[in-house]
Amino acid sequence: MSTATRPTSATRRGGAAANNHPNGRQRQRWLPWAFLAPTIVGMGLFTLVPIVASVVLAFFRWDIISPPSFVGFDNFAQVAQDPTVRVSFLNTIGFVVVAVALQLGLALALAIMVQEKLPSWLRVFFRSAFFFPLILSAASVSIFMRYLFNEQFGVVNWLLSFIGIPAVPWLTTPTGSAAVVILVYVWQNFGFSFLLFIGGLASIPTETYEAASLDGATGWRKHVHVTLPLLSPTTLVASVMAIINALQVFDQPYVLTGGGPGDSTRTAVMVIFESAFQRLEFGQASAIGVILTLIIMAITALQFRLSKRFVFYQ
Amino acid sequence: MPGSNGMLREISRRTALGALGAGIVGATVASWPRLTGMDIPGRGDNSLSIAIMGTAADAAARQRVIDAFTRVHPEIPVKVQAIQAVDWKDFFTKILTMVAAGTPPDVVYVATEGAQLFAEKLAHPLDDYLRRDAADMKEYFADVHPSLVEAFMYKGSLFQLPIDWNAANMYYNTSALQQAGLDRPADNWTQVDFRNSLAAMRKARPSDFTPYYWTNRLFGGVVPWLYANDTSFLKETKSTGGEWFWDSFYAQDPSRKLRSGGYQWLEPNADDPRVYETFDYLRGLVKDGLGVRPEEGGGSSLIGLFASNRIGMTPAGGYWVEGLHEAGMAEDGFDVQFFPRWRTQRHQFGTAGYAIMKTAKDKDAAWEWVKFSSSLEAMRLVFPTPNTTPARRSMVNAELYAGRGPKHWKVFYDTLDKFPTTGPIPAPAQEAAVETALMKNVSLAVSGDERQLKQALDSMQRDLEIALRRQ
Repeated sequence: MSTATRPTSATRRGGAAANNHPNGRQRQRWLPWAFLAPTIVGMGLFTLVPIVASVVLAFFRWDIISPPSFVGFDNFAQVAQDPTVRVSFLNTIGFVVVAVALQLGLALALAIMVQEKLPSWLRVFFRSAFFFPLILSAASVSIFMRYLFNEQFGVVNWLLSFIGIPAVPWLTTPTGSAAVVILVYVWQNFGFSFLLFIGGLASIPTETYEAASLDGATGWRKHVHVTLPLLSPTTLVASVMAIINALQVFDQPYVLTGGGPGDSTRTAVMVIFESAFQRLEFGQASAIGVILTLIIMAITALQFRLSKRFVFYQ
Repeated sequence: MPGSNGMLREISRRTALGALGAGIVGATVASWPRLTGMDIPGRGDNSLSIAIMGTAADAAARQRVIDAFTRVHPEIPVKVQAIQAVDWKDFFTKILTMVAAGTPPDVVYVATEGAQLFAEKLAHPLDDYLRRDAADMKEYFADVHPSLVEAFMYKGSLFQLPIDWNAANMYYNTSALQQAGLDRPADNWTQVDFRNSLAAMRKARPSDFTPYYWTNRLFGGVVPWLYANDTSFLKETKSTGGEWFWDSFYAQDPSRKLRSGGYQWLEPNADDPRVYETFDYLRGLVKDGLGVRPEEGGGSSLIGLFASNRIGMTPAGGYWVEGLHEAGMAEDGFDVQFFPRWRTQRHQFGTAGYAIMKTAKDKDAAWEWVKFSSSLEAMRLVFPTPNTTPARRSMVNAELYAGRGPKHWKVFYDTLDKFPTTGPIPAPAQEAAVETALMKNVSLAVSGDERQLKQALDSMQRDLEIALRRQ
C-alpha cells in the first residue's frame, strides 16, 4: 500500500493551505465555471440561441433568399386559419393518446412479466432485445417497414393470406396508415419505457409484497395495490418522456406515408418541416414550432400538477 | 504493472489539463477548414463550383468531363460537389440552405421540378450568352427537340440548356402480355385498350401479380393521365417573349408556331370535369383490382418487382433501362410503348440542365461550363449507358441500347416528334407546395367511392389555391 502514502501534487504544494492563498481562492472561483463553460457554451449555441431565434423568426416572413421582413402576428394568424395545421395538431394529439397508452401499457406488462416470471439469464436477454429497436435509425426502420406493409408484395399481407385474410391496404387508407405508423412507433420506442419500469420494479422492496401476501393479496391484486402505486414515480417519468417524444413524432409518418393519404397521418412536426424546408416559410414554421413548444410545456406542467395527487413516493 | 501505474500518477492535473487544452487546440486547427466551410468545393479559391444531385461516386463519374473541360479551358478550375438527396425537392432545399449559409455554388444541375423556382429567384438568364455564341450553339439546338428547350424558358428568357430528359412512356412486361394472349399495343392505343389489356393480364395471372403499378408523385403518377385527357390539375398558360430565340434557333422547326416564352401555372384546375373523369378512370382500375392504390415514393423498389415479372405495366422514362438491365432483366423481357391516347396523346416529360446562379463569382466561366456540358463530347462522357435519355437526338441510338433493350427504344425520342405538344411536369416556382397538395389528395381520390373522390378533388383545389398564393 505504498502508493496510498505517496503525496499528491496538491499536498506537495501545501494541500488545503493552498486554498487559503489569494491565488488559490481566485482559482477556486473560476474553476467551476471553467468546467461548466463547455456545457454552457454548447447549450447556449445549440439550444438557447435556436430557441430565441425561432421565437423571433415567428414574427418575420423569411424565405432564405430574400431578407426577412417583420410581419407581427401574421404568421400565427395564418397558422390558425390553415386547415392542414389544424388537422396535423389533432392527428398529433390522437397519436399521442393511442401511442403513449400502448407504449406504456406494453412496456409495463412486459416489464412485470420479464422481472417476475423469467429466470435471470432470460431477463438479460429480453432487456436487450426489447431495447434493441430503440438504437436503430427510425428512418431505416420505417423504410424497411414500408416494404413489409406493402399491399401487393409485402410480407405482412403474404403471411395474412395463409389464414385467409385478403390483402390489407395498410399504407393507402387513413385507418391502415395510422395503425401502421402507431405500430412501428410503439415497437421502436417501448423499450425505453420498459427499461424504466424494470428499474422501478427492482426498487420495490420484497418486504412490501410479503406484507401484502400476509394481508391476503394475490397475484393480480398485488399488482394493482402494490406494484402500480409504488411504480407511480417511474410511471410519471416514463409518461412525461413518452408524451414529449410522441408529440415530436416525424420520422415514421414522414417515411411510411408522407403524411397521407390526405392529411390522415400528417403530424405537427411534419408541417413544421414542410413549411420551412419545402415551402420556404421559415416564419410560419417557427410560429408552429412555438405553438407546439407551448403545448408540450402545458401538458408537462399538467402532468406534474396531477402527479401531486396520483404519485406516491416511498 | 506498478511501473506504468506509477507513471500515470506522476502526471499532474496541470499536465493533464495542458494536454487536454493542446488537444482541443490541435483538433480545432486540424478541422479549421471544415469548421469554416473552407473545404466546400470552390470556396476560398477561384474554382467554379458545380452542384449536382448524387453521391461522391456521381461526382467522381463527372471527372472525365472535368478533365475534358480543363483541356479546353485550362484557365477555369472546376470543382463538382455532389449533394445527396431523396428527390429533387430535397436537393433544392439543400441548395437553398447553402444560399442561406452564404456558400452558394456557381452552377447547379436543376430538373424541371425546380426550373421556375431557380428562374424566378436564383438563376441568371442565358440570353446574352446565347446571342453572343449563337454560331457555336446552332449545332446543339439542331440536335435537341424544342419542347425540351421550352421547358426552360421563363417569362421570355432561357435559363438552362437541356442535358437529359425522360417522358412518361408505358413499360410492359413482354411475358405477361404473351401469357394474356396480347400483342404489343398499337402506337395509338387508347385508355380503353389499356384497361382491356390490364383485365386480360389479371385474368391470366390472378395472384402475386399487379397488372398496373403506379406511384403517387409528380412525374409518372396521375399527371400523364391528365395530360392524355387534355387537362391538368393546374391551368396551363404560356408567357409571351423569346421570339428572338425561336427565330434564331428553331425558325425551320415544324412546331415553331407552338413555341412561347415559357409555361405558366398560375391557377388550380382540380375542379375541371376532365380531372374528375381522369381520377374516376384510375379509381375504376383500383376498384377492379387492375391497378394499385398508389403509394408515395420514387419507385426504387419498382425495378426489382418489375424485373421479377410481378408487374404488367408501369409508366417510366428511358432512365429505367439501365436499372432493369442491372436487375437482370433480359433485353426482350420488357418493352416500351407510348402512353395511351385519350382525348390527346400528349405526354408528360421532365428534363434537367445546368443553371448559372445569380451569385456566381464568374458568370462567363460558368457559361463556358454550361456550353461545354451541352457539347456532344461532354454528353457522350456523361451518358455512356442508358440511365437517362440524352437531350441530343443523335445520342438516342441503337448503340446506346445495344444488349439492354428495349426493342422499341425509338419510342423515347419519337414521343417528342410525334406529339409536339408534349409538355413538362407542371412545376411553378411554388413546386414543393403544389406537389404536396397534389400527392396528399391522390390516394384518397382513387381509393374510395365517388363521394370521396369529389371531396378529395375539392380538397386538392383548396390546397392548390393556398399553395399558389405562396411566393
